[in-house]
Amino acid sequence: MEARAVCEILKYVIIHWKKEAAELSRKALLEGELLVSIEESTPKHRADPSHYVTTIAFAGSACGDLVPKQFLKGIQSLLSGFSGKLTWPSEEAHCAQDLAGLASFQIKIEVDEKPPTLMADCLVIKQFLHRTSIVHPKVRFHFGGEVNGILFKETFGVEKEPVVKLLNGIGLLTSQHHYMRPGFLGAQQVCSRIHPVLGHPVLLSIPDEEANMGLLGQLTLTPAAALCPCHKLHPDQTSRISAAFVFLYGPSGLPLIFPNQEHPLTVFKDNSYLFDWKKYHLRAAPNSNISLEDDLVLPDVSYWIESHERSWPQDSDQQILLLFLMVDFQGGFPAQLTEAWGLQSLLLTHLNSILLENQSLVQGAVQTAVDQALEQHHRRVKAQQKLQASIPVAVSSILSVVAGSTRSSFRALCLQTLQAVDTQEFRRRLHEAFQMTLHQRSMCDPKKQLPEPSSSAEEREEGDESLDEALAGSCCPGEAPRPKRSCQGEGVGRKAQAASWLPLLSLGEAPQRSIGTGPTCSQARGWGGPETRGEDTLWLQEVSNLSEWLRAGPGSRPVP
Amino acid sequence: MAFALMGPEASFFRVLDQHRVSLIQSLKEGPGEAPRKEASSSEVLVSIENIIQDIVTSLARNEAPFLTLDNRSNWENIKFEDSVGLQMIPHCSTKKIKSDSAQSAQRFALILKILSMIYKLVQSNTYATKRDIYYTDIQLFGNQSVVDNIINDISCMLKVPRRYLHILSTSKGLIAGNLSYIEEDGTKVNCTCSTAVAVPSNIQGIRNLATDAKFLLIVEKDATFQRLLDDNFCNKLSPCIIITGKGVPDLNTRLLVKKLWDTFHLPIFTLVDADPHGIEIMCIYKYGSLAMSFEAHNLTVPTIRWLGLLPSDIERLNIPKDTLIPLTKRDQMKLDSILKRPYVTCQPFWKKEMEIMAELKMKAEIQALTFISSDYLSRVYLPNKLQFGGWI
Repeated sequence: MEARAVCEILKYVIIHWKKEAAELSRKALLEGELLVSIEESTPKHRADPSHYVTTIAFAGSACGDLVPKQFLKGIQSLLSGFSGKLTWPSEEAHCAQDLAGLASFQIKIEVDEKPPTLMADCLVIKQFLHRTSIVHPKVRFHFGGEVNGILFKETFGVEKEPVVKLLNGIGLLTSQHHYMRPGFLGAQQVCSRIHPVLGHPVLLSIPDEEANMGLLGQLTLTPAAALCPCHKLHPDQTSRISAAFVFLYGPSGLPLIFPNQEHPLTVFKDNSYLFDWKKYHLRAAPNSNISLEDDLVLPDVSYWIESHERSWPQDSDQQILLLFLMVDFQGGFPAQLTEAWGLQSLLLTHLNSILLENQSLVQGAVQTAVDQALEQHHRRVKAQQKLQASIPVAVSSILSVVAGSTRSSFRALCLQTLQAVDTQEFRRRLHEAFQMTLHQRSMCDPKKQLPEPSSSAEEREEGDESLDEALAGSCCPGEAPRPKRSCQGEGVGRKAQAASWLPLLSLGEAPQRSIGTGPTCSQARGWGGPETRGEDTLWLQEVSNLSEWLRAGPGSRPVP
Repeated sequence: MAFALMGPEASFFRVLDQHRVSLIQSLKEGPGEAPRKEASSSEVLVSIENIIQDIVTSLARNEAPFLTLDNRSNWENIKFEDSVGLQMIPHCSTKKIKSDSAQSAQRFALILKILSMIYKLVQSNTYATKRDIYYTDIQLFGNQSVVDNIINDISCMLKVPRRYLHILSTSKGLIAGNLSYIEEDGTKVNCTCSTAVAVPSNIQGIRNLATDAKFLLIVEKDATFQRLLDDNFCNKLSPCIIITGKGVPDLNTRLLVKKLWDTFHLPIFTLVDADPHGIEIMCIYKYGSLAMSFEAHNLTVPTIRWLGLLPSDIERLNIPKDTLIPLTKRDQMKLDSILKRPYVTCQPFWKKEMEIMAELKMKAEIQALTFISSDYLSRVYLPNKLQFGGWI
C-alpha cells in the first residue's frame, strides 16, 4: 500500500465533499466521517513482502451525490501510476444510507509491501489525517487496523473540541495539545487553547509562466497566527518564543505538502521570507529535525527561534509561534472533480514561484497577523523588562540611604532584617528579595478565568457549548477534552476480528472514549500504550454490528 | 527704607488704604492662620529612613513592598475654605505604588531614587533644583514632569513643604517696584531698578524685606509686565510692586506673593486677560491649585482681588469688537469647569463676570486696550481702577 495513494484518495473525497458543501454554503464546515483501516490479509503466513488491504470508508451528508462508478473512474485516473489493486464492493451499488441519514462508501486498496515500509506509510497517513482534521474539525477521521500483530486505532476530531471558524468552510482546532506537549509547559496552569488571529487575505498574482502551465484563476493567501501555549493566565510569567511552525494548506483545506515529502518550497529556506524577526529582536534558523513519529501535528516548515537581546531566565516558559497559511482559489471549484484535484498538485508545483513573485504581499499579510498574535507577548516582554529594570534602581537607592545614614541603629536594623553582614551582602540580598517577589507574583497568582478573547477575525463555531463552560486550566471557557486516541500496546496479541468492518455512524454515536482514561499523547507513541479491555471490546462489537448491517444492504436496515 | 517718591498724591491711594484696613480687620476677626508645617532636617531624614525600613521589612517577609501616596489630583480629596482656599482633606484616598507591578514598578524605583537624593541633600545641607535632579539621569527619568510630579508626591507623602526637602524650583517670575531684601547668600536686592528682578529661588531664605508699597499687582503675562515697565508704571503709581509668573506661576513666585502678604498685608490685585485661562491663573494665586493643595497654607492668598481685565469692561470701555476673540471649545470647557469649582460660589461678582463672558462667547486680551490708545492701560485704565476701587 502506498501512503501517497491513500492520501490522494482522501484528498479526492474531501474535495468532493467541499464541492458539494460549497453549493449549499461556502462558509459551512464540512461534516462527515472517514475511516482508514489497514489489515494484513495473510496473517499466519507472513510472506515478505506481506499482502495488505487498506480500506477507506467515508460517510457524509453530501455523499449521496457521489456516483460510485464515476468516483471510481476518477480515482483510477488520478492513480494511473499506482501498482496496487483498487476495488469497490459493488460498482453498481448506490450510496448506502444509514439510519443517521448519512451516506457511506468504501474502497479497498491491496498492495504487497515489506513491514518497515508499511509502518512508515502508516505514519505518513496518520500525520495526513491529523493535519487535515485540524482544519476540518467537524469531520471525524478514524485510523486503525493491525500491522505486524499490533492493533491500533486513533480518531482525530473530537466532539466538543474548541474550534474557531476561519474562512470559507475552514476551521481550526484550537486545543493546544495538537501542537505542543503538556509537559513542555511547566507545572503551573496554562490556558489549554490557542487564540488564532486571522490576517487579511491577499490576492496573489500568478506569473505568466505559471499561468501558461495551466494555473489559471485568482489565488488568495490568508494567514492565521497564534502563540502556543497561551499565557493569559500568567501574564507576568517570563516566556520566550523558541520555535515557529508553519502549516500550509491548499484549496479545500488540504495539506499542500505530503508528509515526509522533500520540501518543494525553497522560499522558506530564507528565514526572513515570511516575517521580519528583527522587529521582535528574534533570530530564526531552519529546523529540519521533525520526526514523523511525533504524535503532534507536524509543520511543513519549522524554525528555531532565539532572542538576540539577552539570555532568558532558566524558568522562562517556551512558546511556539504557529502560522497557518491558507491558499485557495478565488473563483471556487472547477467543474470536474479530477480537475479540482489536479489543480492541487499543479499549485504545489508552482507555488514556490508564486510566493517569490508575491513576497512583499505575503510578508505584509503575515506580519500583520503575527504582530497581533505577538502583541500580548510583546507587551509581556516589555512589562518584564520594566520590572527587571526597576530593581537595580530601587536597590541602589535603598542602599544609598542605609549606607549613608548616621544612625547606627537604623543601619543595623536594616542589615539584620535581611540577615546581611555588610552592605555588599545587603545589596545582594535586596536584589534577591526583589526578584523573589516578582517570581512569586508570576507563579502564585493565576488570573481568574477570562472570557474568550475576541478577535475581529475569529468566529466561534455555533453550537460549541463547550466553549461556554469555564473550566480550570483554561483562560478561555471550555478546556479541550482529550482526543479520542488510544493505542494498543505491543504484545497484546489480539487481532482485529472483522477484516472488513466499517466503524461508521449507524446509531449516531461512535464508540466513546472516556476522556482522560486513555494514555496521554506523550505516553502513546506510535503503536505503544495500554488500553482498557472494556473499551476495546465495545469498539469491536460496534464494528461487528456495522459490518453485518452494511452487508445486509439498504433493504434490511435494523430498526433502532 | 526711603524710595524715590514719584507717584501720585496721597489722596490717590485713599480707597486702597481703606481696602487695606478692611483686610487687616478681617484677618483679626477671622479664624486665624493655620499652623504652618515645619520640619527640621533630622525629621525629614528619619521620615525617609522609616520608609526604607518598611520596604526592607516587607522584602524580608517575601512581600512585595509598596509606597502609599495621597491622590493629590482628585477633587474628591479636596475641600474649600474661604480663608485658605483649596486644601486636601485629612483622610483622603490613596494609591499604592507597587514594586511588583509592571505599571508602577518604574515609578516605585524612581520615587526611591529621588528619596535617596533628597536624603543626601538634607544630610549635606545643600540644595538642588528640580532641573538639577532631572539632569542627574535624564535617561532614567525620561522627562522633567516625571521628576516634578514625584517631588510633589514625596512632599505630600512626608507632609513637609518642598523647601524642607532641599529641592528648589527654578524661578521664572519677575518682580519690580518698591521692594528690597537680602537673599540667603547675602546678596542685596533692590527691585526699583528700571529692569525687573528675577524672583529668587530660595524664598524661605530671604530676609530684611522692606517696602512702602500701597499695593502689589500680579500681572499674568510677561508681555504686559514688560509693557508696564516700559511705561514706567512703578514710578507713576509709586509706591507699588508688580510681579509676574509669566503665565501659570511657579512655586517661588507664589511663595513670594504669599510672603509679601504675610509680611506687609498689602492689597494684592491681579491683571489677567479676560479669558478662562487668565481667570484660572488668578484662581491659582488666590485659592491654590489641585496639584499643590497639600501645601495650600503656604501658597494661597485668598484676599487677592480681580482688578482687570473684567469681561464687563469690554462693553463698558467699548472695546472694538474686532479685537475680541471667540471662545474656543476648550475655553468653553474650562469656563464651565471653573464655574463648577467650590470657590466660585463665594465670589458672586466673579461668577457674574464669567457668566458675561459665557454669554458674549468672546474673550479679550489685555492688549485689546492698546486699540483705545497705546498707553491706555498704564495711563488711564489701571490708575482709574486703583483710585476708585474698580476691583472685585
